[in-house]
Order: sequence, then structure tokens, then C-alpha cells
Amino acid sequence: MSDAVLTEVGQVRERAAARWDVQRRRTWVLFLVPAVIVYTVFMAFPLFNSMRLSLYQGKGLTPETYVGFANYTELFTNPLWRDRFFNALRNTVVFFAIHMLVQNTLGLLFASLLSNVHLRGRNIYRAVIFLPATLSVLVTGFLWTLILNPRWGMLNQLLEGVGLGALARPWLGDANLALPVISLVSSWQWVGLPTMMFLAGLLTISDELLEAARVDGASAWQVFWRIKLPLLKPVIGIVSVLTFVGNFNAFDVIFAMAGARGEPGYSTDLMATFFYRTAIAGEHPVAQPNMGLGAAIATIMFLILLAGVSLWLILGRERDEKTGT
Amino acid sequence: MKVKFALLFVVMLALLSTSALAQDSVVQLTMGSWRVDDVAQMQVILDAFSAAYPNVKITFDPTNPPDYNATLRTQLEGGTAPDLFYLRSYATSRQLYEEGFLEPLGDLTGLMENFTPEARAPWATDDGVPYGVPFIAVSHGIYYNVDLFNELGLEIPTTWEGLIEVAQKIKDAGYTAFANASGDEWTIAEIVFMNLAPNFIGGFEGRQAYLKGERCFNDEHAVAAFQAVADIAPFLPEGQEALTYYDSQQLFLLGEAAMWMGGSWDIPFFESEEPEFAWSVFAVPAPEGQEQAYVTFHLDAGMGLNAASTHKEEAKLFLEWMATPEFATLLADNLPGFFPISTNTVSLQNEHANTFLSLNEGRGLDVRWAWEGLLAGQPDGYTLMQNGALAVIAGTQTPQEAADALQDGLAQWFEPAQNCAK
Amino acid sequence: MSRRFQPSMAAAHGVLILWALVVLLPVWTMLINSVKPKREIFRNPFGLPSEFTLDGYINAWTDGKFDLYFRNSLIVAVVSLVLILLIGSLAAYALASWRSRVSNFLYIYFIAGLMIPIRLGTINLFQIIQALGLSDNLAGLILIYTAMGMPIATFVLTSFIRSVPVELTEAARIDGASEFRIYRTVILPLIRPALATVTIFNVIPIWNDLWFPLIFIRNQEARTVTLGVTLLFGQYQTDWTRALSALSMAAVPVLAAYLLMSGQFIKGLTAGALKG
Repeated sequence: MSDAVLTEVGQVRERAAARWDVQRRRTWVLFLVPAVIVYTVFMAFPLFNSMRLSLYQGKGLTPETYVGFANYTELFTNPLWRDRFFNALRNTVVFFAIHMLVQNTLGLLFASLLSNVHLRGRNIYRAVIFLPATLSVLVTGFLWTLILNPRWGMLNQLLEGVGLGALARPWLGDANLALPVISLVSSWQWVGLPTMMFLAGLLTISDELLEAARVDGASAWQVFWRIKLPLLKPVIGIVSVLTFVGNFNAFDVIFAMAGARGEPGYSTDLMATFFYRTAIAGEHPVAQPNMGLGAAIATIMFLILLAGVSLWLILGRERDEKTGT
Repeated sequence: MKVKFALLFVVMLALLSTSALAQDSVVQLTMGSWRVDDVAQMQVILDAFSAAYPNVKITFDPTNPPDYNATLRTQLEGGTAPDLFYLRSYATSRQLYEEGFLEPLGDLTGLMENFTPEARAPWATDDGVPYGVPFIAVSHGIYYNVDLFNELGLEIPTTWEGLIEVAQKIKDAGYTAFANASGDEWTIAEIVFMNLAPNFIGGFEGRQAYLKGERCFNDEHAVAAFQAVADIAPFLPEGQEALTYYDSQQLFLLGEAAMWMGGSWDIPFFESEEPEFAWSVFAVPAPEGQEQAYVTFHLDAGMGLNAASTHKEEAKLFLEWMATPEFATLLADNLPGFFPISTNTVSLQNEHANTFLSLNEGRGLDVRWAWEGLLAGQPDGYTLMQNGALAVIAGTQTPQEAADALQDGLAQWFEPAQNCAK
Repeated sequence: MSRRFQPSMAAAHGVLILWALVVLLPVWTMLINSVKPKREIFRNPFGLPSEFTLDGYINAWTDGKFDLYFRNSLIVAVVSLVLILLIGSLAAYALASWRSRVSNFLYIYFIAGLMIPIRLGTINLFQIIQALGLSDNLAGLILIYTAMGMPIATFVLTSFIRSVPVELTEAARIDGASEFRIYRTVILPLIRPALATVTIFNVIPIWNDLWFPLIFIRNQEARTVTLGVTLLFGQYQTDWTRALSALSMAAVPVLAAYLLMSGQFIKGLTAGALKG
């Protein structure tokens, strides 16, 4: 057979394959349609359109007067809004920092304890650590407000019972304590998630590597610092980003424990409660929401999240380049 | 998969069945409210209405008070609002009317005849077009534990200074003087500060002087009102920073606190709790040397008609019925502590409610300070007064600083405050 | 190794037991006090009840229409999950098989949603839901939750389907199987563990969500458990027996389901975390 014939056969085959592909591609597009529609209409479009609304003002549901960046100017120059905004931002940062410090450190501690396959009852411990995460934030929030009640709450009674009555406080009424206390309650609830993720990460570290280190005379502490922790870096990154995203739109726990106004005196007001009051509920007792201004707050939250996540991606890439992976 | 699809189908069916409820010939109306505690009592009143008008049935569907305004607004904008709903007084409902959510009620039978212009004002435009039927007024005072007062040999104080002396004696005897607390911040604004304020600013006339710009919000009267809050701060319960409205009520009901600065709406709840002691109420006394005393008698709720309701005629039947003496009597008897506003005087059967109402005799009456005029801008007078009173209790501001903050805040938008005589 | 006493092991047990107490004590307090008469809660907060009462539950059940709330929450959670799994796996299959610029773009488009909470779009979502006549309607919640679940579903499922050996799908293709048939008979059975992971990652936020019911649901008939608990808790603050009963009622079904399935649950979580 000549080369020409061979090419022709090849072309026919390719053409058949191409037709084949076109058909398959059509099916794939069909498969994608529902997901793209639902996701676009109920998530992506509202997200972007809400940002557009931050350039409008007006009463009620649909702000219609185009005002350029007036909402942003209002937010950052009117002390009324500016103080609330920066207060909420600062509180959210504190909220996030406590989660990183307490929730994620505890998670790492529990995970490294649980990764020991010789530990008896590790399945029970795992189940217990994760248990609060299955409860609704509302349930834990309300439950803890009862426990922390200064007059009748169980915590102060417990403290008095063990002779530490001097430590009893009006926990949720003290503007300096309320935010840390609520952050700890939230950490209590969610510590199971980082625990599971760190545990999954630790279980992938090969036993040979750890065994080799031990043979070389490394202590458990050294193994943890020198081997496990560096290998866990990607997981630490993911956990941090998830904590960041979760904390920067946390709402329920504040709503349940301190109300939508972040009482006492806005000391527990987070970005999401501030957004809720401004855009949806309005301030008691007038309750006149300002959707345009609310949209501006949402847009800024969006930008903060974007900046945080991008930072993580860039740092991740640099690290990958350094280690050559 | 088959099982899952079957499940999905069943679930979808259930979903559909909820949205297609059967309709019959009786017109069904819903009534929105912030009074979650009054479900049973309102049902009696609404049943009486249905007995008179058998073809109209009204369902009472209340929302938690802090969420009410926001809920109502979203319902109105989304077209799912109830036909009839409670209206807060002054600015809050005025805005709803101006945005076209409320039906004007100028032609409603009985509205003009049975209510005074002052009573209609909180739910009417400046030129007198009413958009709500005046519904309930609430009074404010100081509840006290009669048995404990007798045991400690205390008399009802007749001056503010006397009240503080009484509080000191109660404290010395090992009890909490006032059950009030800052855990729910609105309570400090509405039932502490605005409860005592009329006695220090001179009631209705004094308040109008602020609204006309004849007085500044940091004059000696306003400072005196904040000073009064500072006076009672040492007598609040331990841990008051975190105690809620409900905790405070329990403190009083358990006999641990001798007094509770509260509103007349607490009567039904206190009665249902059956505390083991006799309790009554006295008015906030005026400072020494001031002859005229005042009571905060707040026009609290009106009833509005949804402009988008499909059953306006039937709803108006109810609104007209609200102007009758029959309704006033039913309201007074079923919801003691919520006083009818109509000119049809009714005799109250409830003893505690009667005591409360008798405090009005010989005293000047006025609504809560922040309501008229001061809610229409940002920062609103309510929030400023609340923040000031809380700061005074916490000791982070002096009464003078709190009053200055009130004046400065209102001067940002409220013209009379900008031009007030310095 | 395990026969020898190890101080480090004892310390590990110490830490974990201490934490178990911190977790279980509040839960115990909730459950045990919900069956005590209300005054006894204050006198004896941790002990067994001297007098057992179910009044709190009976009151919360009758006042709160918990049967209705549970039905609503169940409808929302089940329908949303089925939709997420169905729509998400179809899309993931297409994204995994179709290597082109369009599919790459769509993949990133979906994944971006992992990092951006849908709450930020609430204002416009509000308008869309109103315009579609879906406020006060469970269908509105279902559509939002389905959209909310797309990023995690496409992320986990696409990476999982990509790890399925190409030979399997190619063989089916050469046999002339349609794409839908391949999806149904080859892919779906293989990605069951990934579907479990997606379920777990979605079921907790959907079941526990307060934000969207709070904003979109005003009608009694369409309230979910979280919304019902908020309302009841507001009413019951004076009566802790009732308040704790309402909380327990909201928590116990989920708690029981979790304890029954905690093995699979945690496996699904760690599998998901590994993939992530």
C-alpha cells in the first residue's frame, strides 16, 4: 500500500473520531448545563450583581439611583458607619486569630495524638471530638448562653463548687470578654474539622520515614517538628484558608449568643452581623435597611476574602517553586 | 438510583401539597404582630370578632420583637405580608406609609369620632391623614415587692432622692434593689431611661422644647436624666452586664430583687408566674422640689392595613370594630397592661392594671422621648440615648458626656438640635 | 510495645479525656436538665433529676410544631442533596472527560465558589427569589443550597473521576456505550466514596443554616428547625426546661444519626480532606 492510501485511511479514522468527539462533546455540554445554570443564577450572578448594587442608592428592595462610589464614601467618611465598619473588621480579625490559635492548634494536637495507631479508644475520641460540629450553631450558641449566665449558669456554679468562685464573671456582658468567649465556644464546636483534616494528612506520612527518623535517634518531639510539621504544610494552608473564609462570614454564633447588634456595645459585632443589620434588618427600632450601603459592605468583604485567598495561592506557589515540586 | 428518584418524587409531592392549601368561602385574614406572648389572649378577641362577622376569620401570626420590623418590611416588599399588622408609632410606620405599603384610612367609620387627634398623631401624616387605627398604649413605672417593703419597713418614695434612699436600705438589707440589667440593651433604653426621663425633662412640654430647638439635648435637664441613671447604677444586680430581660424578671419574681423598673405589659406574665408575695407598682417619683410629676404613657401600637391586601373590605370591618367600646373592653380585660386608646372609657377588671392606670391621675403623661421626630435620621435618638445610658451605667461616660454625645449625634441631622439656643 | 506502660500514652489519654469532658459536659447538661422541673435546674444543674418530667418536650412540641419544622428541614436537606449529587456528578463527569479551554474555564469558575461565601450575594439573591415568587417557599432554599453545593461537588467529584482509570471508560466507549450510559454504569458506582464525602460536606451546613431561612422564610408553614428553635428560644427564656427541651429536640436526631454512622462519617471526612 502506498503512503497516500495510508494517509487517507488515517484521515477517515480521524474524521470518524472527530464526529464521535463532537457527539460526545454535545452530551458533555448537556451534562454541564444544569450545574452551570443553577450555579450561575443562584450564586455567581447574585454575587456580582450585588457588587453592582453597591453603586446604587434607594429605598427598599431595589436601589435604583446610580450614585457612583457614594456608598463607599459614606461608609468610610461618615464616622457613624466608619466606626462600625472598622470595629466589625477588628472584631472579625480577633475572632479569626482566636480560631487559628485555639481551634487549629488544638486540632493539630488532637490529630497527632490520634494518629498513634496504638492509642486505645481512638475511634471513640475521634467521634467525641467531632460531635459538636454536628450540632447546629444555634443549639450550641443558645446552650452556652445558658451555661454562661452569671446568675444561674452552670459554669459559675462549677467554678464556685471547686473553690474558684473569684473567677466567675458576667462572661457575655463584659465588652472585653464577650468576643473571646464566643470565639472559644465557636472553636469548641468546630475543632473536629481541623482535627480530621490534620489526621488525614498525618496518616499519609509514610511509616518508613518516621521509622528511619526514630532509628536515627530522633525524639518524638523532633519527629513532630522536623518531619511531620513540614509535611503538613499544605494541610495547614488549607485549614487556614477554610478557617479564614468561614470566620469572615460567621454570623449564626453571634446572632445566637449576642444578638444581631453584637452586644454588649457592638463588642462582638462581626462583618456578617454588620452586613445583616445594614442590608437586611436595619437598626432597632427604626429598621430601615440600606441595601446599597449593605452591598458596599459585601463587596469589601468579597475583596478581603479575595486578597486573603490570593495571598495563600501565591505563597503556596512560591513554596512549591522553592521545593521544586 | 431508583430509590433516590422515588424519594425525590415523594418529597416534591409533599412540597406541592403545602403550597396548595384548600380554600373555602370564609375570608381568611392574617394579622402580624410582635407580641409572641399574647397568642392565646388575642385569639379570644379575634374569636369575638368572628362571632360578630362570621364570614371573616383572622389568624394571629406574631414574630419575635427584635425581628418584627425587619420581618414586616421583607414581607411587604416581597408581597407576602399579612393583611393587618401591628404598627409601631411615629417614624417607623410613617416610612412604611410613605413607601406606599399602608392604606390611608381617612374614611374609616368611627376613627375620627372615637380617638383624639393626639391619639391618632403617631399613625397619621403631618396634615392628619391617618394610616393606622390607634390600638394599645403601655405605661411605665416601678414594680415593687409589697411584702418585702413591709418587712423592711419601707414606704413608697415620693421623691427621686427618696427612691435612692429606699434603694440603699434594700441593698443594706442584703437584697438587690432594682432587677434591671444591661444584658438586653433595649431594656435600659425603653424601661429605664425613657421611663424616668419625663420627670427630669418636664414631660410633654419639655420634650416639645427639644423638638422645637428651644433646648439643646445636653442642657441641664437632659444631664439630670442621665444622672438619674447613674444614681440607680450601684443598685443593679451583680453581673447585670450579662443579665437579660428574662433574667431580670426572674430576679424580681423570685423575691431576690425588691423593685423592677418595668412596663405595664409585664402584668400578664407576672400574674401567670404566681410569685409567692404581693406585688404592686408605683410611679417614678419626681426630684425633690418639683411639684409636677410625669408618667411615660406610650402610644405603642396601631393597627395598619396592607395596601396590597386582597381583602381590604373585610379587613376594614375589623378596623372599624376596633373603634367600638366592645373592642376596648375586650382588649382591657384580656390583655391587662395594654390600655385601649379610644375615648370610650372602659373600666378595667384587672386589679394590677387598674393600679397602673391610676398612676396617671394628677401626673403629666407623655410618650417615650426618642419616638417622636428623633428616629427619622442617623444616628437616631433611640440608639444615642441607649448608648449614653449604658455608658453611664458602665461608668465609661459621665452624665454630662452622655448628654453631649446625644446632642452631637442628633446635631448631625436633626435641624432643631443644630440651631438650638446655646 | 503496647504492653509496656508509656508515660506519653498516659498523657495522650489525659488530654483526650479532659477534652471529652469539655465536649460532653455541656451536652449532658442540656439533655439532663431538659427533663428536670424548672426550679431544680438552678439548684442541681449537673445531677440526675429528682423528679422526671417531659413537660418541656410536650410544650415545645405542641407550641413549636416541631413535626412541621422537621419535615421542612428534611425536605430541604434531602432534595438539595439529591440535586447536588445528581447535577454535580453529571457536571463533574463532563469536566473530567472533556479537556478543553472551555471546560478548564468552567472548572475554575466552579472552584472559585469554594472561597466566596454565597451570603455576600444575599441582596441580589433576595431580589431574584422575590421575582421568582419563591420567598416563603422551601423551593427557594433548595435552589440556593444546590447552587451553594456546586463548588465542593464539582471539586471533589471531578478530581475523583479523573483518578478513575481511562481504560474503563475507553473500553465502554469502544463498545459504543452512550456517555450517559458510561456515567450511570461505570462512573457512578465507582465514585460512591466521593459522593459520601460530598454529602457530608453539604449536609451539615444545609441542615444547620440559619441565614437564608431567617431572611427568606416568614411563613409558619415553611419554617425550618433552626428558625423554629430561634423563635421558641426567644419565647422560652423564662423557662429553661422548655428552652433546653427545644434545643435537645433540635439536636437529638442529628446527634443520634451521627453516633450511629460516625464510622462512615469520619471516613468520608478524612477521605475528603485527603483529596483536598
